[in-house]
Amino acid sequence: MIARVAWLLARPGSAGAAASVLPVVAFGVVTALLLTVAGGAQTFFTWTDDTSMLYQSLAVIALVLLVVPLVSLGGAAARLSARRRDDRLATLRLLGATPGVVRALAVIEAAAFALAGAVLGVLAYLVAVPLIGLIPFRGEPLGAAGVLLPWWVLVAAPIAVAALAAMSAVLGLRQVVISPLGVRTRQEAPRLHWIRVVAGVGVVAFAYALMSVIGVAQVALVLITMLAVAFGGTLAVLNLIGPWVIRLIASAQVRRAKTPARLLAARSVLESPKAAWRQVGGVAMTSFMAVFAGVGVGLLGAAAADGGNGDPESAMLLADVRTGILITVVGSFLMVACSVGVGQAAAILDRADLYRSLDMLGMPVATMEAARRRAVMSPLRVTAVGSAVIAAIVMLPLTGITLIVAPLSLAVIAGVLAAGIGIVWLGLVVTRPVLDRAAAG
Amino acid sequence: MSSFVIEAAGLTKSFGSAHALAGVDLQVRTGESLAIMGASGSGKTTLLHCLAGITRPDSGTVGFRSGIGLVPVTELGERERSRLRREAFGFVFQQGLLIPELTAVENVALALMLNGMPRATAEQHARGWLAALGLAGLEERRIGQLSGGQAQRVAIARAQVTGATVVFADEPTGALDSQTSADVMGALLHSTTGQGRTLVVVTHDPDVAARCSRVVVMRDGRIVGERQGARSVHPAAAARVEAQAAAAAAGSAGAAGTPEGPRA
Ligand SMILES: Nc1ncnc2c1ncn2[C@@H]1O[C@H](COP(=O)(O)OP(=O)(O)OP(=O)(O)O)[C@@H](O)[C@H]1O
Ligand SMILES: [Mg+2]
Repeated sequence: MIARVAWLLARPGSAGAAASVLPVVAFGVVTALLLTVAGGAQTFFTWTDDTSMLYQSLAVIALVLLVVPLVSLGGAAARLSARRRDDRLATLRLLGATPGVVRALAVIEAAAFALAGAVLGVLAYLVAVPLIGLIPFRGEPLGAAGVLLPWWVLVAAPIAVAALAAMSAVLGLRQVVISPLGVRTRQEAPRLHWIRVVAGVGVVAFAYALMSVIGVAQVALVLITMLAVAFGGTLAVLNLIGPWVIRLIASAQVRRAKTPARLLAARSVLESPKAAWRQVGGVAMTSFMAVFAGVGVGLLGAAAADGGNGDPESAMLLADVRTGILITVVGSFLMVACSVGVGQAAAILDRADLYRSLDMLGMPVATMEAARRRAVMSPLRVTAVGSAVIAAIVMLPLTGITLIVAPLSLAVIAGVLAAGIGIVWLGLVVTRPVLDRAAAG
Repeated sequence: MSSFVIEAAGLTKSFGSAHALAGVDLQVRTGESLAIMGASGSGKTTLLHCLAGITRPDSGTVGFRSGIGLVPVTELGERERSRLRREAFGFVFQQGLLIPELTAVENVALALMLNGMPRATAEQHARGWLAALGLAGLEERRIGQLSGGQAQRVAIARAQVTGATVVFADEPTGALDSQTSADVMGALLHSTTGQGRTLVVVTHDPDVAARCSRVVVMRDGRIVGERQGARSVHPAAAARVEAQAAAAAAGSAGAAGTPEGPRA
C-alpha cells in the first residue's frame, strides 16, 4: 500500500522542477562540504608533533561551525520536500489514510531526496579531492592521498544525511498529520521580550572585559581559550537580540511603507522576526566570525612581521589559520545561500494559493517578487552589518590597532561580507521560477 | 435595456483530454447579478476565469465594454490583462484568500495602492468600505483574528474599493454556514448591483442563486439552461454603471468606489 501511494506521490507536482532540484542540490552541497572539511581535518590528526594539538583543535572548531548551519539546512530541505507534497498528503489524510501512512510517505520522500543529494555530494567530493589536496598547510600541499577519506565514511555519510533528513521530516510533518485540512491559522504576531536586550548587553560587556584582559595576558593558549569563550558568548548574544532588533526595524518600516511591496515585506518580517532571523542568522555568524578572526590574524601577522624575529614556525601557523578561516567562511556562506534558496522555495509553496489569488487580483508578479526579496534582504543587511559592528566593538582594543597596522585585512573583511550578501541574493534569485509557477497556478 | 458589460462567444478550453469549456456563449448584462450553477467539474470556475481575463481560452472571444469602448480581453497580453483585473474587476474567493500578515484595513487598501493611490488616502477609503460592511472597529485586526464571515466581508470590501465595474465571486459562501452565508450574500449584492455594478457569482447554493437576477446552468462545459431570478435589474443602476465604467477605464487612481448607504 505504502509503496503504491508513494509512487503516486512521486509524480511531478505543480511545484515544478525547481522545488525538487533545490533540496537535492542543497543536500549535495552539505555533504560535499562536510566531507571536504572532514578530509582536511583527518590530515591534521595524523600529525604527532607539538603544534598538532593546536591544528586539531582549530579543525574541530571549524567543523563545529560548519555543522550548525548544516543541521538547519538539513531541516529546511526536509521541510521543503514535505511542503511540496502537503496538499496531496492532506488529501490522502482526508481520504482516510492513517497518520502512520502519511508520515511514512513524507519521511520516505525526504530521505530519498537527501540520499540522492548526498550521493551526488560524495561524487562531487571525490572529484574535488585532487583540488583539496592542493590546499597548503604547514607550507606544503595536503596531498590527495591525505585528504581522501576511508571508503566506509563515504558509504556512511549519505546514510547519515538521509537519516537526519528523515528525522526532520517527522518533526516538520506533524502539522499535516494533526490537521487533515492542512489549515494553518495565524493569530497575534509573536512578541519578543526586552529581557533579551538586557541579557545581550550583559554578555557583550562581559566579552569586552574578557578581551581587555587578554590585551594584558599574552599567553597563547589562554588567549585562544578566552577567544573561544568570548566568541561563543557573543554568538549566543547575537541569537538573543537578533530577532528583537529585526522586529523593531520591521515595525518602523510598516509605519513608513508607501508602496505595496514595502508594506508586504515589512509585515511579513514582523509576522515572524524569529523566522526572518533564522533565515539570515547564518550570515550573522559568518560575518561575526570574519571580523573576529580577520582582525586577530591581521594583527598577529603585522606583529610578527614587525618584530622581525622571523620565526618561520609561527609565520606558517598564521598563514594556516588564515587558510582555515577562508575555507570556513566560504563554506558557511555557501550553506547560508543554499538554505535561503531552499527556505524561500518552501515559503513560496506554503503560500501558493495566496500568490495565485494575488495574481488573479492583478498584482504584478514583479511586486510579489520585490516584496519577497525585500523581506529577506532587509533583515540580512541589518544582520550582517550589525554583527560585524558588534564583533568590532567586542574587539575594540584590537580593532583599533588593526585599523592602523593592518588596514588591508579590514578591507578584505568588508569584501567578504559584501560577497556573502551577494551569494544570499543569488539564492533568492534562483527561486523566482517557483514564484512564477505558484502565481500562474 | 439590453446593454451588456461582458460578451463571450464560442469559448473552448481543454486541460489535456478534459474539455472544461466546450463552446460557451454568454452575455453579462450591465448591473445584473448573474449566478453560474452546475455540477462539480462542469466548467464554472474555468468560465469565470475566462470572463475575467485570468485564463486564456483555447478559442473564442471575450469582450469587456468599458467607458472608452469594447476591450478585447482575449487579445490582451499578460500585463494588460493583469492591469484590467486590477483596475476594472474585483474578486471574491471561497476562502477569502486575504493576506494573513496584513490587517483588515491594509488588505483592502492594498488594492488601491496597487493602482498608485497614496497609502493614507487608500486606508481612508478602505475604512469607509469596512464600516459600510459592518466591520467598524475591526480595521486593525489581522485576518486570523476575524471569523469566516467577517473575513469574507473584508474580501468584499477589497473587491469593491477600487470601484470595480464587475465583481467575480467563486463560491463566496462555500465555506460559511447558512445564516452567515445569507448575510455575506446580502452584503455582496448590496455593494455591487445595489450600487449599479455587475456581479458574476459561481455557486452551488440554490439560496444564493435565488437572490440573483439571472441564473445559468452548466453541464460538461456548456450552458444548458437559463432562468430569470426574482430580482430584476434596476434601470437607475444600469445608468450609473456607465459613468463608473468610464471612470474606471480612465485608469485613474481616483476611480475608487465610495460606499453608499447602510449595509444590507
Ligand atoms: N488547471 C487545471 N488543470 C487540469 N484540469 C483542470 C484545471 N482546471 C480545471 N480542470 C478540469 O476542467 C474541468 C472543469 O473544471 P472547473 O474547475 O471549471 O469546474 P467547476 O465547475 O468549477 O467545479 P467545482 O464546482 O468543483 O469547482 C474539470 O474536469 C477539471 O478537472
Ligand atoms: Mg470551481
